[in-house]
Amino acid sequence: MPAIETRNLGKSFGGRRACWDISFEVARGEVFGLLGPNGAGKTTTLRMLAGLLAPDVGEAQVAGERIQAGRAGSARLRGRVGLLTESPGFYDRLTAAENLRYFGRLHGLTAHEADGRAARLLSRFALADHAQRPFAELSRGMKQKLAIARALLHQPEVVFLDEPTVGLDPEATREVRATVAQLASEHATLVLCTHHLDEVERLCSRAAFIAGRLVAIHAVGAQAGGPRVRIALSAPPSEGQLAIVRALPFVSSVACDGASLSLSLAAQGEGVPGAVAALVAAGARIEAVVPVRDVLEEAYVALLARARAEGLAA
Amino acid sequence: MRTALCIVEKELLELWRSPLLVASMVTLPATVVTMPIALLAWLSHAAPEQAVDFLRELYGVPAAASRAAALAAVLAKNWLPMFLVLPIFLPILIAAQSIGGERERRTLEPLLATPVSTLSIIAGKSIAAVVPSLAITWVSALAFCGGMDLIVWPELHALLLPDGAWLFGTLVLCPLLALFGNAAAVVVSSRVLDPRAAQNIAAMTVVPLLGVLVVQLAGRATLSARFYGTFAVCAAAADVALIAVAVRLFDREALLTRTR
Repeated sequence: MPAIETRNLGKSFGGRRACWDISFEVARGEVFGLLGPNGAGKTTTLRMLAGLLAPDVGEAQVAGERIQAGRAGSARLRGRVGLLTESPGFYDRLTAAENLRYFGRLHGLTAHEADGRAARLLSRFALADHAQRPFAELSRGMKQKLAIARALLHQPEVVFLDEPTVGLDPEATREVRATVAQLASEHATLVLCTHHLDEVERLCSRAAFIAGRLVAIHAVGAQAGGPRVRIALSAPPSEGQLAIVRALPFVSSVACDGASLSLSLAAQGEGVPGAVAALVAAGARIEAVVPVRDVLEEAYVALLARARAEGLAA
Repeated sequence: MRTALCIVEKELLELWRSPLLVASMVTLPATVVTMPIALLAWLSHAAPEQAVDFLRELYGVPAAASRAAALAAVLAKNWLPMFLVLPIFLPILIAAQSIGGERERRTLEPLLATPVSTLSIIAGKSIAAVVPSLAITWVSALAFCGGMDLIVWPELHALLLPDGAWLFGTLVLCPLLALFGNAAAVVVSSRVLDPRAAQNIAAMTVVPLLGVLVVQLAGRATLSARFYGTFAVCAAAADVALIAVAVRLFDREALLTRTR
Protein backbone atom coordinates (compact mmCIF):
# COMPACT_ATOMS: atom_id res chain seq x y z
CA MET A 1 0.00 0.00 0.00
CA PRO A 2 1.43 3.44 -0.88
CA ALA A 3 2.19 5.84 1.98
CA ILE A 4 -0.11 8.42 0.40
CA GLU A 5 -2.87 7.99 -2.12
CA THR A 6 -5.18 10.84 -3.10
CA ARG A 7 -8.14 10.72 -5.47
CA ASN A 8 -9.71 13.89 -6.89
CA LEU A 9 -9.15 15.89 -3.71
CA GLY A 10 -10.61 19.38 -3.82
CA LYS A 11 -11.18 22.27 -1.45
CA SER A 12 -12.92 25.66 -1.69
CA PHE A 13 -12.96 28.62 0.64
CA GLY A 14 -16.03 30.82 0.51
CA GLY A 15 -16.90 29.74 -3.02
CA ARG A 16 -13.34 30.20 -4.31
CA ARG A 17 -11.71 26.97 -5.39
CA ALA A 18 -8.30 26.55 -3.78
CA CYS A 19 -7.49 23.23 -5.45
CA TRP A 20 -9.26 20.42 -7.25
CA ASP A 21 -8.61 17.14 -9.04
CA ILE A 22 -5.55 16.38 -6.92
CA SER A 23 -4.70 12.73 -7.48
CA PHE A 24 -1.32 11.15 -6.86
CA GLU A 25 0.42 8.37 -5.01
CA VAL A 26 3.58 8.47 -2.94
CA ALA A 27 5.39 5.21 -2.21
CA ARG A 28 6.82 4.43 1.20
CA GLY A 29 10.29 5.91 1.53
CA GLU A 30 9.80 8.19 -1.47
CA VAL A 31 10.64 11.90 -1.42
CA PHE A 32 7.88 13.60 -3.38
CA GLY A 33 7.80 17.25 -4.38
CA LEU A 34 4.82 19.59 -4.67
CA LEU A 35 5.59 22.44 -7.04
CA GLY A 36 3.52 25.37 -8.16
CA PRO A 37 3.19 29.13 -8.12
CA ASN A 38 1.87 31.08 -5.12
CA GLY A 39 -1.78 30.41 -4.41
CA ALA A 40 -1.70 27.20 -6.44
CA GLY A 41 -3.19 25.13 -3.60
CA LYS A 42 -0.03 23.39 -2.40
CA THR A 43 -0.42 24.33 1.27
CA THR A 44 -4.14 23.53 1.17
CA THR A 45 -3.29 20.10 -0.23
CA LEU A 46 -0.73 19.53 2.53
CA ARG A 47 -3.16 20.67 5.21
CA MET A 48 -5.80 18.24 3.95
CA LEU A 49 -3.29 15.40 3.95
CA ALA A 50 -2.04 16.32 7.43
CA GLY A 51 -5.58 16.16 8.85
CA LEU A 52 -6.05 19.90 9.39
CA LEU A 53 -8.63 20.62 6.70
CA ALA A 54 -11.51 18.55 5.41
CA PRO A 55 -11.63 18.13 1.63
CA ASP A 56 -14.88 19.18 -0.03
CA VAL A 57 -14.58 16.42 -2.59
CA GLY A 58 -12.43 13.38 -3.18
CA GLU A 59 -10.71 11.10 -0.74
CA ALA A 60 -7.25 10.15 0.41
CA GLN A 61 -5.34 7.64 2.42
CA VAL A 62 -2.28 8.73 4.39
CA ALA A 63 -0.23 6.31 6.51
CA GLY A 64 -3.16 3.90 6.42
CA GLU A 65 -5.66 6.50 7.69
CA ARG A 66 -8.59 7.57 5.52
CA ILE A 67 -9.56 11.13 4.70
CA GLN A 68 -13.03 11.62 3.28
CA ALA A 69 -14.93 14.54 1.81
CA GLY A 70 -16.42 16.74 4.52
CA ARG A 71 -14.35 15.20 7.30
CA ALA A 72 -10.87 16.30 8.31
CA GLY A 73 -8.39 13.56 9.11
CA SER A 74 -8.69 12.01 12.54
CA ALA A 75 -6.52 12.54 15.61
CA ARG A 76 -4.93 9.18 14.77
CA LEU A 77 -3.89 10.52 11.37
CA ARG A 78 -2.40 13.64 12.97
CA GLY A 79 -0.46 11.34 15.27
CA ARG A 80 1.00 9.41 12.33
CA VAL A 81 2.19 12.33 10.23
CA GLY A 82 4.62 15.14 10.94
CA LEU A 83 4.03 18.63 9.58
CA LEU A 84 6.58 21.38 9.15
CA THR A 85 4.39 24.46 8.89
CA GLU A 86 5.30 27.46 6.76
CA SER A 87 6.27 29.43 9.85
CA PRO A 88 8.13 27.64 12.71
CA GLY A 89 5.37 28.49 15.25
CA PHE A 90 6.97 28.10 18.68
CA TYR A 91 6.51 29.92 21.97
CA ASP A 92 9.06 32.71 22.37
CA ARG A 93 9.38 32.53 26.15
CA LEU A 94 9.90 28.78 26.27
CA THR A 95 13.33 27.30 25.59
CA ALA A 96 14.00 25.10 22.57
CA ALA A 97 13.88 21.99 24.78
CA GLU A 98 10.67 23.11 26.55
CA ASN A 99 8.99 23.75 23.22
CA LEU A 100 9.86 20.28 21.96
CA ARG A 101 8.79 18.68 25.23
CA TYR A 102 5.41 20.47 25.01
CA PHE A 103 4.67 19.28 21.47
CA GLY A 104 5.96 15.81 22.29
CA ARG A 105 3.51 15.55 25.17
CA LEU A 106 0.66 16.79 22.97
CA HIS A 107 1.51 13.82 20.76
CA GLY A 108 0.92 11.55 23.72
CA LEU A 109 4.52 11.02 24.84
CA THR A 110 5.30 11.02 28.54
CA ALA A 111 7.46 13.89 29.80
CA HIS A 112 10.38 11.47 30.10
CA GLU A 113 9.96 10.14 26.55
CA ALA A 114 9.50 13.63 25.15
CA ASP A 115 12.64 14.88 26.90
CA GLY A 116 14.68 11.91 25.66
CA ARG A 117 13.57 12.27 22.05
CA ALA A 118 13.96 16.06 22.17
CA ALA A 119 17.52 15.71 23.43
CA ARG A 120 18.38 13.24 20.65
CA LEU A 121 16.87 15.45 17.93
CA LEU A 122 18.50 18.60 19.29
CA SER A 123 21.81 16.81 19.22
CA ARG A 124 21.20 15.44 15.70
CA PHE A 125 20.39 18.90 14.33
CA ALA A 126 23.35 20.53 16.14
CA LEU A 127 21.04 22.42 18.49
CA ALA A 128 22.07 20.76 21.75
CA ASP A 129 24.10 23.80 22.84
CA HIS A 130 21.03 25.97 22.35
CA ALA A 131 18.53 23.68 24.08
CA GLN A 132 18.13 25.96 27.09
CA ARG A 133 17.90 29.22 25.13
CA PRO A 134 14.50 30.86 24.74
CA PHE A 135 13.10 30.27 21.27
CA ALA A 136 13.01 34.03 20.59
CA GLU A 137 16.81 34.17 20.84
CA LEU A 138 17.50 31.50 18.20
CA SER A 139 18.57 32.38 14.66
CA ARG A 140 16.14 31.84 11.75
CA GLY A 141 18.00 28.72 10.65
CA MET A 142 17.95 27.26 14.17
CA LYS A 143 14.23 27.99 14.46
CA GLN A 144 13.54 26.17 11.22
CA LYS A 145 15.68 23.19 12.23
CA LEU A 146 13.83 23.10 15.55
CA ALA A 147 10.56 23.01 13.61
CA ILE A 148 11.84 20.07 11.57
CA ALA A 149 12.82 18.36 14.83
CA ARG A 150 9.27 18.89 16.09
CA ALA A 151 7.85 17.30 12.94
CA LEU A 152 9.94 14.17 13.67
CA LEU A 153 9.46 14.07 17.46
CA HIS A 154 6.67 11.49 17.46
CA GLN A 155 8.37 9.35 14.80
CA PRO A 156 5.75 9.89 12.10
CA GLU A 157 5.34 7.59 9.11
CA VAL A 158 4.98 10.50 6.68
CA VAL A 159 6.53 13.96 7.00
CA PHE A 160 5.12 17.01 5.21
CA LEU A 161 7.53 19.91 4.76
CA ASP A 162 5.85 23.16 3.74
CA GLU A 163 8.37 25.60 2.27
CA PRO A 164 11.24 24.56 4.54
CA THR A 165 13.63 27.27 3.32
CA VAL A 166 11.30 30.18 2.67
CA GLY A 167 12.55 33.46 4.13
CA LEU A 168 15.89 32.05 5.25
CA ASP A 169 19.26 33.63 4.50
CA PRO A 170 21.67 31.62 2.32
CA GLU A 171 23.55 30.13 5.27
CA ALA A 172 20.36 29.04 7.04
CA THR A 173 18.96 27.75 3.74
CA ARG A 174 22.06 25.60 3.33
CA GLU A 175 21.75 24.23 6.86
CA VAL A 176 18.06 23.39 6.44
CA ARG A 177 18.63 21.82 3.01
CA ALA A 178 21.33 19.63 4.50
CA THR A 179 18.90 18.58 7.23
CA VAL A 180 16.20 17.71 4.70
CA ALA A 181 18.76 15.86 2.56
CA GLN A 182 19.75 13.85 5.63
CA LEU A 183 16.10 12.88 6.16
CA ALA A 184 15.73 11.96 2.50
CA SER A 185 18.80 9.73 2.69
CA GLU A 186 17.20 7.87 5.60
CA HIS A 187 14.34 6.72 3.34
CA ALA A 188 11.71 8.65 5.25
CA THR A 189 8.50 9.30 3.30
CA LEU A 190 8.68 13.03 2.67
CA VAL A 191 6.40 15.40 0.83
CA LEU A 192 8.28 18.58 0.09
CA CYS A 193 6.28 21.64 -0.83
CA THR A 194 8.55 24.34 -2.24
CA HIS A 195 9.20 27.02 -4.83
CA HIS A 196 12.84 26.04 -5.13
CA LEU A 197 13.32 23.80 -8.13
CA ASP A 198 16.87 22.95 -7.17
CA GLU A 199 15.59 21.59 -3.83
CA VAL A 200 13.16 19.33 -5.66
CA GLU A 201 15.80 18.35 -8.19
CA ARG A 202 18.29 17.45 -5.48
CA LEU A 203 15.97 15.66 -3.08
CA CYS A 204 12.89 14.32 -4.81
CA SER A 205 12.33 11.37 -7.08
CA ARG A 206 9.11 12.82 -8.51
CA ALA A 207 7.29 16.12 -8.29
CA ALA A 208 3.65 17.06 -8.82
CA PHE A 209 3.03 20.39 -10.47
CA ILE A 210 -0.06 22.04 -9.02
CA ALA A 211 -1.79 25.12 -10.39
CA GLY A 212 -5.20 24.83 -8.78
CA ARG A 213 -5.52 21.33 -10.17
CA LEU A 214 -2.73 18.82 -10.58
CA VAL A 215 -1.25 19.60 -14.01
CA ALA A 216 1.43 16.92 -14.24
CA ILE A 217 3.68 14.60 -12.31
CA HIS A 218 7.27 14.83 -13.40
CA ALA A 219 10.12 12.41 -12.76
CA VAL A 220 13.11 14.21 -11.29
CA GLY A 221 16.89 13.63 -11.23
CA ALA A 222 17.98 10.12 -12.14
CA GLN A 223 14.33 9.19 -12.67
CA ALA A 224 14.03 11.86 -15.34
CA GLY A 225 16.67 10.29 -17.54
CA GLY A 226 20.37 10.92 -18.02
CA PRO A 227 22.25 14.17 -17.72
CA ARG A 228 22.27 16.92 -20.31
CA VAL A 229 25.26 18.81 -21.60
CA ARG A 230 25.80 21.85 -23.83
CA ILE A 231 28.90 21.81 -26.06
CA ALA A 232 30.11 25.10 -27.55
CA LEU A 233 32.05 24.67 -30.81
CA SER A 234 34.26 27.20 -32.60
CA ALA A 235 32.02 26.89 -35.69
CA PRO A 236 28.61 25.37 -36.50
CA PRO A 237 28.96 21.58 -36.85
CA SER A 238 28.78 19.94 -40.25
CA GLU A 239 26.07 17.40 -41.11
CA GLY A 240 28.68 14.66 -40.88
CA GLN A 241 29.76 15.71 -37.40
CA LEU A 242 26.13 15.84 -36.29
CA ALA A 243 25.47 12.38 -37.73
CA ILE A 244 28.45 10.93 -35.85
CA VAL A 245 27.22 12.35 -32.54
CA ARG A 246 23.63 11.22 -33.15
CA ALA A 247 24.91 7.70 -33.82
CA LEU A 248 26.65 7.43 -30.46
CA PRO A 249 24.85 4.75 -28.36
CA PHE A 250 24.86 6.83 -25.15
CA VAL A 251 23.37 9.95 -26.79
CA SER A 252 19.58 9.95 -26.74
CA SER A 253 19.00 13.29 -28.47
CA VAL A 254 20.92 16.14 -30.09
CA ALA A 255 19.78 19.71 -30.67
CA CYS A 256 21.86 22.19 -32.61
CA ASP A 257 21.66 25.97 -32.27
CA GLY A 258 24.37 27.60 -34.37
CA ALA A 259 27.71 26.56 -32.91
CA SER A 260 26.08 25.16 -29.77
CA LEU A 261 25.06 21.52 -29.36
CA SER A 262 22.69 20.30 -26.65
CA LEU A 263 23.02 16.60 -25.95
CA SER A 264 20.74 14.42 -23.82
CA LEU A 265 22.73 11.48 -22.57
CA ALA A 266 21.27 8.09 -21.81
CA ALA A 267 23.21 7.70 -18.56
CA GLN A 268 26.04 9.04 -16.43
CA GLY A 269 29.54 7.71 -17.08
CA GLU A 270 31.32 7.82 -20.40
CA GLY A 271 28.64 10.00 -22.06
CA VAL A 272 30.34 13.40 -21.90
CA PRO A 273 33.97 12.36 -22.61
CA GLY A 274 32.75 9.94 -25.30
CA ALA A 275 30.76 12.65 -27.10
CA VAL A 276 33.65 15.11 -26.82
CA ALA A 277 36.14 12.53 -28.15
CA ALA A 278 33.86 11.67 -31.11
CA LEU A 279 33.43 15.35 -32.06
CA VAL A 280 37.20 15.99 -31.82
CA ALA A 281 37.87 12.90 -33.94
CA ALA A 282 35.41 14.26 -36.53
CA GLY A 283 37.40 17.51 -36.73
CA ALA A 284 35.30 19.79 -34.53
CA ARG A 285 37.02 22.35 -32.26
CA ILE A 286 35.48 22.46 -28.80
CA GLU A 287 35.51 25.69 -26.79
CA ALA A 288 33.43 24.75 -23.74
CA VAL A 289 31.45 21.88 -22.23
CA VAL A 290 28.72 22.96 -19.79
CA PRO A 291 26.45 20.55 -17.89
CA VAL A 292 22.78 21.53 -18.10
CA ARG A 293 21.08 21.48 -14.69
CA ASP A 294 17.77 23.11 -15.49
CA VAL A 295 15.80 20.10 -16.72
CA LEU A 296 13.13 20.61 -14.10
CA GLU A 297 13.12 24.34 -14.63
CA GLU A 298 12.39 23.80 -18.31
CA ALA A 299 9.60 21.41 -17.42
CA TYR A 300 8.28 23.84 -14.78
CA VAL A 301 8.21 26.74 -17.22
CA ALA A 302 6.51 24.60 -19.85
CA LEU A 303 3.91 23.36 -17.36
CA LEU A 304 3.31 26.88 -16.05
CA ALA A 305 2.77 28.10 -19.61
CA ARG A 306 0.35 25.22 -20.17
CA ALA A 307 -1.48 26.02 -16.95
CA ARG A 308 -1.74 29.67 -17.95
CA ALA A 309 -3.05 28.71 -21.35
CA GLU A 310 -5.73 26.69 -19.59
CA GLY A 311 -6.49 29.65 -17.31
CA LEU A 312 -5.27 27.83 -14.21
CA ALA A 313 -2.37 30.07 -13.11
CA ALA A 314 -2.00 33.83 -13.04
CA MET B 1 -6.99 14.95 30.29
CA ARG B 2 -3.21 14.47 30.25
CA THR B 3 -2.87 16.74 27.22
CA ALA B 4 -5.14 19.35 28.86
CA LEU B 5 -2.84 19.41 31.90
CA CYS B 6 0.15 19.70 29.59
CA ILE B 7 -1.46 22.80 28.03
CA VAL B 8 -2.15 24.20 31.52
CA GLU B 9 1.49 23.69 32.48
CA LYS B 10 2.75 25.42 29.34
CA GLU B 11 0.32 28.34 29.66
CA LEU B 12 1.28 28.93 33.31
CA LEU B 13 4.97 28.76 32.45
CA GLU B 14 4.45 31.35 29.73
CA LEU B 15 2.44 33.54 32.09
CA TRP B 16 5.14 33.30 34.75
CA ARG B 17 7.68 34.47 32.20
CA SER B 18 5.54 37.42 31.05
CA PRO B 19 6.19 40.07 33.72
CA LEU B 20 4.13 42.68 31.89
CA LEU B 21 1.05 40.47 31.72
CA VAL B 22 1.43 39.53 35.39
CA ALA B 23 1.83 43.22 36.28
CA SER B 24 -1.29 44.12 34.31
CA MET B 25 -3.19 41.37 36.15
CA VAL B 26 -2.06 42.58 39.57
CA THR B 27 -2.57 46.31 39.05
CA LEU B 28 -6.37 46.35 39.21
CA PRO B 29 -6.66 44.08 42.29
CA ALA B 30 -4.00 46.14 44.08
CA THR B 31 -6.03 49.28 43.39
CA VAL B 32 -9.27 47.60 44.45
CA VAL B 33 -7.67 46.63 47.77
CA THR B 34 -5.65 49.73 48.65
CA MET B 35 -8.13 52.42 47.61
CA PRO B 36 -10.97 51.60 50.07
CA ILE B 37 -8.53 50.84 52.89
CA ALA B 38 -6.78 54.17 52.37
CA LEU B 39 -10.19 55.86 52.17
CA LEU B 40 -11.33 54.25 55.40
CA ALA B 41 -8.10 55.23 57.16
CA TRP B 42 -8.56 58.83 56.02
CA LEU B 43 -12.26 58.98 56.88
CA SER B 44 -11.63 57.45 60.31
CA HIS B 45 -8.85 59.76 61.33
CA ALA B 46 -8.64 62.88 59.22
CA ALA B 47 -11.84 63.53 57.27
CA PRO B 48 -13.96 66.62 58.12
CA GLU B 49 -17.04 65.85 60.21
CA GLN B 50 -19.37 67.01 57.40
CA ALA B 51 -18.00 64.37 55.04
CA VAL B 52 -18.59 61.64 57.59
CA ASP B 53 -22.09 62.94 58.35
CA PHE B 54 -22.88 62.92 54.63
CA LEU B 55 -21.87 59.28 54.32
CA ARG B 56 -23.78 58.30 57.46
CA GLU B 57 -26.88 59.92 56.00
CA LEU B 58 -26.41 58.48 52.51
CA TYR B 59 -26.01 54.88 53.68
CA GLY B 60 -28.25 55.12 56.77
CA VAL B 61 -25.54 54.43 59.34
CA PRO B 62 -26.80 54.84 62.94
CA ALA B 63 -25.33 57.90 64.65
CA ALA B 64 -24.48 55.83 67.69
CA ALA B 65 -21.90 53.72 65.84
CA SER B 66 -18.25 54.72 66.08
CA ARG B 67 -16.76 56.53 63.15
CA ALA B 68 -14.38 53.80 61.87
CA ALA B 69 -16.74 50.90 62.52
CA ALA B 70 -19.66 52.62 60.84
CA LEU B 71 -17.70 53.55 57.75
CA ALA B 72 -16.04 50.13 57.58
CA ALA B 73 -19.44 48.47 57.63
CA VAL B 74 -20.53 50.63 54.69
CA LEU B 75 -17.43 49.80 52.69
CA ALA B 76 -17.60 46.12 53.55
CA LYS B 77 -21.12 45.93 52.21
CA ASN B 78 -20.72 48.06 49.11
CA TRP B 79 -17.30 47.01 47.95
CA LEU B 80 -18.06 43.30 47.48
CA PRO B 81 -19.30 43.70 43.86
CA MET B 82 -15.88 45.10 42.98
CA PHE B 83 -14.37 41.79 44.03
CA LEU B 84 -16.87 40.07 41.77
CA VAL B 85 -15.66 42.14 38.85
CA LEU B 86 -12.08 40.90 39.34
CA PRO B 87 -12.69 37.20 38.58
CA ILE B 88 -14.51 38.14 35.38
CA PHE B 89 -11.95 40.66 34.25
CA LEU B 90 -8.70 38.83 35.09
CA PRO B 91 -9.28 35.60 33.08
CA ILE B 92 -10.18 37.76 30.09
CA LEU B 93 -6.65 39.19 30.11
CA ILE B 94 -5.28 35.67 29.62
CA ALA B 95 -8.04 33.85 27.76
CA ALA B 96 -8.63 36.51 25.10
CA GLN B 97 -4.98 36.01 24.11
CA SER B 98 -5.21 32.24 24.23
CA ILE B 99 -6.76 31.44 20.86
CA GLY B 100 -6.20 34.73 19.02
CA GLY B 101 -2.70 34.96 20.44
CA GLU B 102 -1.86 31.49 19.16
CA ARG B 103 -3.06 32.53 15.73
CA GLU B 104 -1.12 35.79 15.86
CA ARG B 105 2.10 34.05 16.93
CA ARG B 106 1.49 31.36 14.29
CA THR B 107 1.55 28.59 16.87
CA LEU B 108 -2.06 27.61 16.18
CA GLU B 109 -1.31 25.44 13.13
CA PRO B 110 1.39 23.35 14.88
CA LEU B 111 -0.96 23.00 17.86
CA LEU B 112 -3.89 21.86 15.72
CA ALA B 113 -1.59 19.50 13.80
CA THR B 114 -1.14 17.42 16.97
CA PRO B 115 -3.72 14.78 17.94
CA VAL B 116 -4.92 16.97 20.85
CA SER B 117 -8.73 17.27 20.99
CA THR B 118 -10.72 20.50 20.89
CA LEU B 119 -12.04 19.79 24.38
CA SER B 120 -8.51 19.40 25.75
CA ILE B 121 -7.42 22.68 24.16
CA ILE B 122 -10.38 24.58 25.62
CA ALA B 123 -10.11 22.87 29.01
CA GLY B 124 -6.35 23.43 29.23
CA LYS B 125 -6.53 27.07 28.26
CA SER B 126 -9.53 27.71 30.51
CA ILE B 127 -7.93 26.17 33.60
CA ALA B 128 -4.76 28.16 32.92
CA ALA B 129 -6.79 31.38 32.78
CA VAL B 130 -9.15 30.70 35.69
CA VAL B 131 -6.71 29.36 38.30
CA PRO B 132 -4.30 32.34 38.47
CA SER B 133 -7.21 34.77 38.23
CA LEU B 134 -8.99 33.13 41.15
CA ALA B 135 -5.77 32.99 43.14
CA ILE B 136 -5.19 36.72 42.64
CA THR B 137 -8.83 37.48 43.52
CA TRP B 138 -8.68 35.43 46.71
CA VAL B 139 -5.37 36.92 47.82
CA SER B 140 -6.81 40.39 47.16
CA ALA B 141 -9.99 39.59 49.11
CA LEU B 142 -7.88 38.31 51.99
CA ALA B 143 -5.77 41.49 51.92
CA PHE B 144 -8.91 43.67 51.82
CA CYS B 145 -10.57 41.88 54.74
CA GLY B 146 -7.32 41.95 56.73
CA GLY B 147 -6.80 45.66 56.05
CA MET B 148 -10.35 46.56 57.09
CA ASP B 149 -10.11 44.46 60.25
CA LEU B 150 -6.80 46.03 61.15
CA ILE B 151 -8.36 49.50 61.07
CA VAL B 152 -11.53 48.67 63.00
CA TRP B 153 -9.95 46.23 65.52
CA PRO B 154 -9.00 48.96 68.06
CA GLU B 155 -12.66 50.02 68.24
CA LEU B 156 -14.57 46.76 67.68
CA HIS B 157 -12.16 44.16 69.12
CA ALA B 158 -13.79 41.76 66.66
CA LEU B 159 -13.41 40.77 63.01
CA LEU B 160 -15.70 42.72 60.70
CA LEU B 161 -14.81 40.66 57.62
CA PRO B 162 -15.30 38.21 56.12
CA ASP B 163 -19.00 38.04 56.84
CA GLY B 164 -21.49 35.63 55.26
CA ALA B 165 -21.88 37.68 52.09
CA TRP B 166 -18.12 37.91 51.58
CA LEU B 167 -17.62 34.20 52.17
CA PHE B 168 -20.39 33.36 49.70
CA GLY B 169 -19.14 35.95 47.24
CA THR B 170 -15.52 34.89 47.23
CA LEU B 171 -15.94 31.13 47.61
CA VAL B 172 -19.01 30.55 45.42
CA LEU B 173 -19.59 33.54 43.16
CA CYS B 174 -15.96 34.26 42.29
CA PRO B 175 -15.26 30.80 40.77
CA LEU B 176 -18.55 30.94 38.85
CA LEU B 177 -17.77 34.40 37.51
CA ALA B 178 -14.18 33.44 36.65
CA LEU B 179 -15.56 30.60 34.53
CA PHE B 180 -17.98 33.05 32.94
CA GLY B 181 -15.28 35.60 32.09
CA ASN B 182 -13.05 32.89 30.69
CA ALA B 183 -15.78 31.29 28.59
CA ALA B 184 -16.81 34.69 27.23
CA ALA B 185 -13.21 35.39 26.26
CA VAL B 186 -12.81 31.96 24.59
CA VAL B 187 -16.03 32.47 22.61
CA VAL B 188 -15.01 35.95 21.45
CA SER B 189 -11.42 34.87 20.83
CA SER B 190 -12.66 32.04 18.58
CA ARG B 191 -14.56 34.50 16.39
CA VAL B 192 -12.48 37.69 16.45
CA LEU B 193 -9.09 37.52 14.75
CA ASP B 194 -7.40 40.38 16.62
CA PRO B 195 -6.62 39.34 20.21
CA ARG B 196 -6.73 42.97 21.40
CA ALA B 197 -10.20 43.44 19.94
CA ALA B 198 -11.22 40.11 21.50
CA GLN B 199 -10.00 41.32 24.88
CA ASN B 200 -11.92 44.59 24.62
CA ILE B 201 -15.13 42.89 23.49
CA ALA B 202 -14.93 40.23 26.22
CA ALA B 203 -14.21 42.90 28.83
CA MET B 204 -17.65 44.39 28.11
CA THR B 205 -19.13 41.51 30.12
CA VAL B 206 -18.14 43.28 33.35
CA VAL B 207 -20.21 46.35 32.52
CA PRO B 208 -23.53 45.09 34.06
CA LEU B 209 -21.75 44.23 37.30
CA LEU B 210 -20.07 47.62 37.38
CA GLY B 211 -23.55 49.12 36.95
CA VAL B 212 -24.73 47.22 40.03
CA LEU B 213 -21.71 48.52 41.92
CA VAL B 214 -22.43 52.12 40.92
CA VAL B 215 -26.13 51.84 41.89
CA GLN B 216 -25.18 50.41 45.27
CA LEU B 217 -22.43 52.98 45.91
CA ALA B 218 -24.90 55.73 45.03
CA GLY B 219 -27.06 54.48 47.88
CA ARG B 220 -29.90 53.61 45.48
CA ALA B 221 -30.03 49.90 46.29
CA THR B 222 -28.77 47.37 48.78
CA LEU B 223 -27.78 43.96 47.51
CA SER B 224 -29.48 41.28 49.57
CA ALA B 225 -28.56 37.65 50.24
CA ARG B 226 -31.37 36.73 47.88
CA PHE B 227 -29.81 38.83 45.15
CA TYR B 228 -26.46 37.06 45.56
CA GLY B 229 -28.16 33.66 45.61
CA THR B 230 -30.09 34.39 42.42
CA PHE B 231 -26.94 35.83 40.88
CA ALA B 232 -25.05 32.60 41.64
CA VAL B 233 -27.73 30.46 39.97
CA CYS B 234 -27.75 32.72 36.90
CA ALA B 235 -23.94 32.71 36.74
CA ALA B 236 -23.86 28.90 36.91
CA ALA B 237 -26.45 28.63 34.12
CA ALA B 238 -24.54 31.17 32.01
CA ASP B 239 -21.32 29.19 32.57
CA VAL B 240 -22.84 25.97 31.27
CA ALA B 241 -24.32 27.73 28.25
CA LEU B 242 -21.17 29.68 27.40
CA ILE B 243 -18.86 26.67 27.75
CA ALA B 244 -21.14 24.70 25.41
CA VAL B 245 -21.07 27.60 22.92
CA ALA B 246 -17.28 27.88 23.26
CA VAL B 247 -16.81 24.19 22.37
CA ARG B 248 -19.30 24.46 19.50
CA LEU B 249 -17.75 27.60 18.05
CA PHE B 250 -14.20 26.29 18.21
CA ASP B 251 -13.98 25.39 14.53
CA ARG B 252 -10.44 24.15 13.92
CA GLU B 253 -10.63 24.66 10.16
CA ALA B 254 -12.14 28.14 10.35
CA LEU B 255 -9.54 29.20 12.92
CA LEU B 256 -6.79 28.24 10.51
CA THR B 257 -8.20 29.64 7.32
CA ARG B 258 -10.41 32.62 8.20
CA THR B 259 -8.79 35.93 7.34
CA ARG B 260 -11.51 38.31 8.58
